[in-house]
Amino acid sequence: MRTTTPAGSLAATGVVPGFPTAGRVVARGSTALALLGALVIWLALLGPFAVLIQHLSFHSIRAALGPPGALDPLWVSLGASAIALGAMVLLGTPLAYLLARGRLPLARLVELGILLPLMMPPLVIGLLLIFLIGPEGTLGTLLADIHLTGVNTFFALIVAEFYEAAPFYVLGAHAAFASVDPRIEQDATLLGDRPLQAFRRITLPLAAPGLATGLATAWARAMGAFGAVVIIAYYPRGLPNQIFIAFQEFSLSGALPFALLLVVAALPLPVLAYLWSARTRSRVAGTEAP
Amino acid sequence: MNTAPASLLEVDLEVERRQLTVQVGFGLEAGERLAIFGTSGAGKTTILESIAGLTRLSRGKVRIDGKLVAGKAKGEAALEPRDRQVALVRQPTTLFPHLTVEQNVAYGIRRSPARGRVAELLERLGLTSLARARGAALSGGQRQRVALGRALASPFRVLLLDEPLSAVDVAARQALRLLMIETSVERDAAGILVTHDLTEAQAFGDQLGIIDGGRLLQLGGAHQVVLSPLSRRVAELVGYGGFVPAPSAVDTWFAIHPDRIVPGVAPERGVVLTGTILSTRPYGPRYECTVAERSGEQFTIHLDEPPGAGTECTLTALDPPVVAP
Repeated sequence: MRTTTPAGSLAATGVVPGFPTAGRVVARGSTALALLGALVIWLALLGPFAVLIQHLSFHSIRAALGPPGALDPLWVSLGASAIALGAMVLLGTPLAYLLARGRLPLARLVELGILLPLMMPPLVIGLLLIFLIGPEGTLGTLLADIHLTGVNTFFALIVAEFYEAAPFYVLGAHAAFASVDPRIEQDATLLGDRPLQAFRRITLPLAAPGLATGLATAWARAMGAFGAVVIIAYYPRGLPNQIFIAFQEFSLSGALPFALLLVVAALPLPVLAYLWSARTRSRVAGTEAP
Repeated sequence: MNTAPASLLEVDLEVERRQLTVQVGFGLEAGERLAIFGTSGAGKTTILESIAGLTRLSRGKVRIDGKLVAGKAKGEAALEPRDRQVALVRQPTTLFPHLTVEQNVAYGIRRSPARGRVAELLERLGLTSLARARGAALSGGQRQRVALGRALASPFRVLLLDEPLSAVDVAARQALRLLMIETSVERDAAGILVTHDLTEAQAFGDQLGIIDGGRLLQLGGAHQVVLSPLSRRVAELVGYGGFVPAPSAVDTWFAIHPDRIVPGVAPERGVVLTGTILSTRPYGPRYECTVAERSGEQFTIHLDEPPGAGTECTLTALDPPVVAP
């Protein structure tokens, strides 16, 4: 059988049937805008890094970080962030899972509670925390009974970091668990798994890339927490506070070495988590490069 | 004292859904297989999920091996799905996407000696070369084979299959069907397959149940139900396309099946009908014709030779069942 093409329909106009010209123009325009957006975002992100490297010399780093005790803010920040992160995982993981599975009463209210710290300025959170866990606060008096003080202590630093960072982990974990089809978990229980076994063998590995991303974001937020921290945990001095103080006392050149230290301490985990989760996702999706 | 052996699976359940109440009752002995046939939305999947423990009963009970696994009466607690000794192949197919084909199939095996069975199963499922592939790399038919293998490898007394071969190539179905039946017999298990493909249902089940609107309309031998539908609705569902008024009683019809009608006059074989051929079209190696019977009823028939449109014809419907509304 011979088929014919109407004269000039494809070759002359270059129009693919079913794909209108206007649609292609919009598609091309969208691609150009997306590329431009990516370029602007990369420049906006990389620009400050370039400036940081440009304005730092080995001598200034050594002068700032060399003296005994200069690295103490780093250890304080690392310790407080690690403990805050541990608390987030312990409390936030079951919460995120139950929210994702719709098994929590008053779920909308709980979600709102998680979102509120994100919506409020950190500085305001710090002020309100004073009322809550400060010496005169409602919880503060109870904390005093167990010899804890909610202002200018290591405990206060952990609380402030927790408030600023926990929503990022819980929301990330919520999305990660919601992406796991509950039918797959049911299949595991039908094949003999107890609920915890199904969680360990199925849910956790499938949600792990999303959990890792949430955890990494929360880590970066905790390490860099400043707004609430500066109000309720000025001491012990963590890295963000140290940067602020150094900036006030010695201007920009004095603050930059600590800024570098914060970036070096806070960034590797998120970057590694991102790379790992991207690789795991593509392996499960079957799109892994050979 | 009742000494009759208890059924392996006893079902008497009612499940209220938004738009449908599923209410069925039946029992299966060890080694018996039931195919439940019906249209989409008739309640087939609900029955399987209720037995498996994924859907709660509104009323009734389910017993497996004499043990109450689901009940709504006071003091009757439901057994968890993992404790019911059921294997379920679901629709749409869900695999464990982070595990390989081999790991998926072996998932429910708790004892290491049984792991030798996995290699054999993969071979029979035609999946040996894909043993290390993950779910995302598989076609729909391959995914169904993995889900079937995963269910068959697990320890079960009741095998529940929800359209398990719908995406599998027709050529491969026979072998897989045989595997399902053999495994079910080896385990001395009861098997239930639900489908909207009648030939698939008849090939699997020694019993056939016809479900419509959440009710089992008829239950009987796989061939007997098709040859002797008890109502016009069952006849329609199992493929009878024409209903010619029967002279024996008011509101009764001879049900005409397109494959159970032959040209010519053979009163000793059934009921002789006369009519006019309205249209003819190819139907596989045969021809499908629409016939207007003298009473005005229209139905389709399958013939080896194509009669022309407008031809007057005499046909014999082979022992057509007489059905009431």
